Amino acid sequence: MCLLLGAASAARKSDPAKVDVVALIVVLTVLVCLLTILVAGLLRSHADILRALHSLGAGVGDPTSGDEAQSAPISMSPSAPPLPGERNSVSVFDLSGATPSGDAIALAVAGADQLTLIAFLSSGCSSCAGIWRAMVRSHGDLPHDVRLVVATKGPELESPPEVEAKAAGGTFPVVMSTAAWGDYEVPGAPFFVLVDGRRSRRIGEGIANTFPQVLDLVRRAQRELPESDDGNHSRAFALGLDGPQRESANDEELIRAGIHPGDPSLYPQSHDDVFGVGKVPAPNDGA
Amino acid sequence: MALSAHGIGAQLPAGFEGRIFVRAPVGEEISRPVAQFATFPIPQGIGDFGGNTETSLGPSDIFAVLFEYGPESVGTALFAAQGIPSGLTTMDFLPYVMRPGVGGSLGIQRFFTAAGRPFMFYARLGSLQQQAALVQQVNQLLANLVIQPPSSTPLASPTTSTTAPSSTTTVAPTSTTPTTSAP
Repeated sequence: MCLLLGAASAARKSDPAKVDVVALIVVLTVLVCLLTILVAGLLRSHADILRALHSLGAGVGDPTSGDEAQSAPISMSPSAPPLPGERNSVSVFDLSGATPSGDAIALAVAGADQLTLIAFLSSGCSSCAGIWRAMVRSHGDLPHDVRLVVATKGPELESPPEVEAKAAGGTFPVVMSTAAWGDYEVPGAPFFVLVDGRRSRRIGEGIANTFPQVLDLVRRAQRELPESDDGNHSRAFALGLDGPQRESANDEELIRAGIHPGDPSLYPQSHDDVFGVGKVPAPNDGA
Repeated sequence: MALSAHGIGAQLPAGFEGRIFVRAPVGEEISRPVAQFATFPIPQGIGDFGGNTETSLGPSDIFAVLFEYGPESVGTALFAAQGIPSGLTTMDFLPYVMRPGVGGSLGIQRFFTAAGRPFMFYARLGSLQQQAALVQQVNQLLANLVIQPPSSTPLASPTTSTTAPSSTTTVAPTSTTPTTSAP
């Protein structure tokens, strides 16, 4: 730099044109120095980023890590709840929580001898308002073997007085439970889950904006139930059990019906015991 | 599945559902906690002792009630028995305990005092044929009831969980603040 300044001073004494050239050289030299510093800083920053990625296990662009590090997978597991398509579509959970009036309630869903329609509603959502009203008014439109249960989030996230006001006049239980929303991985209200208690599995779930849509969902799900629900087959058959498991399930069903080991009906002595008195089919029946 | 409110807690055996509530008082009456448990869906708006559940009670069903009386009953002869009933047998369930018209089923009534609170336990079985198995379930329910002393009764502070309570007997409270255990 001193050499350049000295050259400029000498040039000023000799020729003004030379002075300009020397000044230009000085400015360019300073610019080159600044750019060199900038590039060095960028390289250092890049090295820091590579080191940070390496510490996370990515190994991307790390020249010292080789192929093994470069092929190391980057964890991309989402922290949010799984999407509906990734959920277990059959798992069922009982419901327990508070009622809007501050009492405690626990409802058996799994194993119940019926279908349970769980309506996940909120007191605040606009889509839910019409459904609340329709449920209070038209609850009876549901098939007789379907039990309607409304589940809101717990008192810590919902307003019990508002929920109580929405459900006023309804003949369905209301469970306030945030855990239930987590168990059934409800994406948002309004959301409906239809559970077959006999099989302890979900047979339908989805969103509906009107109560008639809900009724349609329920009826369609009912139509899709296996024919074994018509009473012509045992519960064990419907569950697809076989061997000792089917035998055990049939025993349980008989006991529930009041038929215990040793019951005379299990040991028919005549055709009348099987078909009923006077109802024995003639030998040529069905020929 | 567990539920708890108004100083009464229960870990429900499989197949049971329940509710613990205090009815809104009418006039000057004082409402007391009532706990109802059943192996069938408990209809809305039924009586404290299960009125209007007759048609819901199948042969393999149970309906049970824990009904609290006023503190003036403590120390009376009717509530002399101490502690939640346990070890019931088929001989304890009798047809004539039932109201007329509830044919084919058996019932039991037990008055007792637990944790300084007077209660009546009432249970109804769906059929005589399955009595032995049903009594076993009733005993299981009773063994998992918890009653807290009246001073700690956290009215209108229900807690529910899917975990077992810390004790299956009458216990002294450790805190008056209701807690909720994670499922």
